[in-house]
Amino acid sequence: MRYVKWAIWLTIVLTVGLFLHYTLPQHDVVRVVGTYQERQDLTDWTRIFWSSPDDQSGTLTNRDVQFIQTIQTDGDPMVYRNEDTGWFWPPYFKFDTARLQTEADDLRSTAEAPKWAVVTHYGWRNELISIFPNAVGIRAAEGPDVTIIPWFNIFFFAFLLILAVLVRKMWLQFRERMVDPALADAGEAWDSVEAKAASARKEARGFFGRIGAWLNTWRAKK
Amino acid sequence: MIGFLRAIVIWAVVGAVAYFILRIYARSLRREALEKEWDAAPQGDTEAREAFIDKGMADYEGSLRNRLLVIIFVLPFIAIAVLLYLVNYA
Repeated sequence: MRYVKWAIWLTIVLTVGLFLHYTLPQHDVVRVVGTYQERQDLTDWTRIFWSSPDDQSGTLTNRDVQFIQTIQTDGDPMVYRNEDTGWFWPPYFKFDTARLQTEADDLRSTAEAPKWAVVTHYGWRNELISIFPNAVGIRAAEGPDVTIIPWFNIFFFAFLLILAVLVRKMWLQFRERMVDPALADAGEAWDSVEAKAASARKEARGFFGRIGAWLNTWRAKK
Repeated sequence: MIGFLRAIVIWAVVGAVAYFILRIYARSLRREALEKEWDAAPQGDTEAREAFIDKGMADYEGSLRNRLLVIIFVLPFIAIAVLLYLVNYA
């Protein structure tokens, strides 16, 4: 039973953690080397990783997606997709795809004369299933070792903590004011039920006891 | 456009639910405080206690603090406006 409990907790923590890791913004220091546009199929299960912009028909089977090719500070390549997020999920409310693509093009540089940039993005890169993080912002950086303070995430987790504390306090207040008095009432009601049951049992014992005694009179005497 | 309207409706519902829950919670806190205030120095029987709490709650309903709770309802829209600006124009 203890293992089941642990497994359930682990699953919950893992799910929430992965969800937040996918959705919350992250920053990469990169060098933009190019941008391109490629037609993507939207019919298989990896559809969930492409975004659903507001101006797109729901029955679309493929469409063009813009990409930003970059090299990270450690020399590894990273390719971002550049898509509108629309109004719903994830709630980035990004509509400036064309602008972002222009800014990325503007920051393009070579290995010999690198121009470093900070890309804000959410999502994961996975080569096997061809998914790409979505870039939501780009700005020039002074150098490859610029310090980035994740303000949004700091505020987000602070807000989450406040919300958790608030919900807990609300629940405790609700229990103190509503559940406990109701339980006390129910307890009193239950006590009276039990008292009645006890006296009824006594009576029944008396009744069946009497029948038993009467039946016993028919048994052969030992 | 449909997405925009849907977002407005969804966040309005979220805001309204948050607002009403917080309203109930704040009211419950106020009532408890009034009960404790009375019980610390009772000035009459149970009826007087009821009257004291009812009056306190009536005063609370009209208070600025209770009215300011409406801000909760607007918060999602402020957040959306700020995000829209930061992501697209900053």
